[in-house]
Amino acid sequence: MARLLLSVPIAYAGTAVLLAFAYVARPALVSPVLLLLIVRQAAPLAIAVLGQSLCMRVLSLDLSIGGVILAVSYILTSGILRLPEPLLLLICVLFGAAVGAVNAFFITRIKASSVIVTLATALILSGVVFSLSQLRAPGEAPAILRYIGQTRIGIVPISPLFWLAIFLPVALFLRMSVFGRYVDAIGANPRAALISGIPYVRIVTIAHILSSILAVFSGFVLVGFVGAGSLDIGRDLPLTSLVAVILGGVTFGSGKGGSLGPAVAAFMLTFSFNLLTSLGVGEPGKLMLQGAIIALAATRRSPD
Amino acid sequence: MPVSIMKSNRSGLRLATIALPALLFVVLSILSPAFLSVQNLSNINGQIAALLIVSLGQLVVALIGGIDLSVGAVLSLTTTIIVSVSPDFALPAALLAGIAIGLVNGIGVTVAGVHPLIMTMASMTFLQGLALLIHPVPGGTVPDYLAGLAWTSAAGVPAAFFWCVAAVTIASFLLSMTRFGLRLFAIGANQASAARNGIAVRWYSVSCYVICSVAATIAGIFISARVSSGDATVGAPFALDSITAIAMGGVQLAGGTGSVAGVVLGTITLGLLTNGMNLVGISPFLRTAATGLLLLVAISMQRRTVIGV
Repeated sequence: MARLLLSVPIAYAGTAVLLAFAYVARPALVSPVLLLLIVRQAAPLAIAVLGQSLCMRVLSLDLSIGGVILAVSYILTSGILRLPEPLLLLICVLFGAAVGAVNAFFITRIKASSVIVTLATALILSGVVFSLSQLRAPGEAPAILRYIGQTRIGIVPISPLFWLAIFLPVALFLRMSVFGRYVDAIGANPRAALISGIPYVRIVTIAHILSSILAVFSGFVLVGFVGAGSLDIGRDLPLTSLVAVILGGVTFGSGKGGSLGPAVAAFMLTFSFNLLTSLGVGEPGKLMLQGAIIALAATRRSPD
Repeated sequence: MPVSIMKSNRSGLRLATIALPALLFVVLSILSPAFLSVQNLSNINGQIAALLIVSLGQLVVALIGGIDLSVGAVLSLTTTIIVSVSPDFALPAALLAGIAIGLVNGIGVTVAGVHPLIMTMASMTFLQGLALLIHPVPGGTVPDYLAGLAWTSAAGVPAAFFWCVAAVTIASFLLSMTRFGLRLFAIGANQASAARNGIAVRWYSVSCYVICSVAATIAGIFISARVSSGDATVGAPFALDSITAIAMGGVQLAGGTGSVAGVVLGTITLGLLTNGMNLVGISPFLRTAATGLLLLVAISMQRRTVIGV
């Protein structure tokens, strides 16, 4: 029983504790309207986390998420490509797929460290975007995205629905398909997976391409939410997504972990930022608490 | 042939590691006449000294297959401690903090079993907050004796050069002349075998993280002396820059492969890149992109045999 309890991602308990605490200390924060707003705020992170968790389940990492989002924001808002909006969105998705493919190429063919490869692509993307934006600054977001990011149906914001529309198929696919089983097998023991004939290269490639495409979707929501492009957009996402994946119960190198845990963790993190703000904790205090929480959360479920 | 493979396996030095900075050096001296001036070369030296010290620390952790993202925050924290504590205790306080951080990182990784990326990212976040708490706005005064350490020159050679020489000497001695250094390579190559051969892996791992944090602290002391102020965010770029530098120097993050010479070359490559783009007048933002590209080039020339983090 204790073992079973321990195998539940810490994000669930953490969310429950935070909600209970907020209910006592800051009741306004747990009102449906505010909760839904926080859910909306969490949507971009939750989408990015889905990709990150997939990479981590095949023992890889994607630090290029931030760079991809920055590039997406620039392509969409700077007016550098004068094209109809749907075409722009399509270009972004293709662009994301290309970045993922480049990452995967270096990781699987050159056998380079995923940390270094995705770090390098992030550096290239952000460097290019920053220097381009000196010529042409980012501007307003496309109307479709502002609609997704800002509109509500009744009291329900659209962006969480957008997340759900992405999450459900991906999660079901990972759970039901052979691909999902391969992912778990590689995560549990890459060498055994390789020896038993699992198409390692193909799986890792797909994982990285998916992760980058999901980063593009995350960028869509973020750009729509902010309403304009910015050079700050998505800066924290690579590291925050990593944290969410860990808190969500995906342990690096055990083949364990699902898709829901990281999503809950994304909500938990966003909620905790809001809670700390409402408690009047300043930036330094927030960072210190975050750091302590990450370390403690990762400690509890250490395998050996 | 087998001999050369053995050699390159351990140090990680390949043709690319040496050719990249050499090529940059030649190209820059052709492109810009100011490049080879003594003034400029000593500028480069001053700019890379702190990164070199941090990267050498990063190397020690990388050798056992770890990684330390918290070095930048440690550096920032050090500068804030230096300007906030009474001058008499500034240095000991900073060093003690460095040791304590290294202990926490090391124990988190080895005893609690947290992945080094996550553990050091957690401490990075925590320390960044702490640094901002101690010293929110850049400024303050650095003890006089420190400013002298960074700015004096002996026989025309600037102090930064001596910092570099000292760091490289200590690191080389530690890694190639002591049992400690040899055992780090053993742990990095195969932790389980190392443990079965009687190496106290945990103790060594914790020591590595302590060494790395102390290196970052020393770099922080150098930086605060050089800019004569404390700044809670000055270290932020160092985490990724130091990883970039060691990767360019042929160090493998999986552990067991790397050399002090490689790290020196990698750091020089990064320094030349920054300096050269300034001289030639290219946007500093493109420098970031160029770093990324060079990193990809460097790793493409150092193909590994196993896939891994």
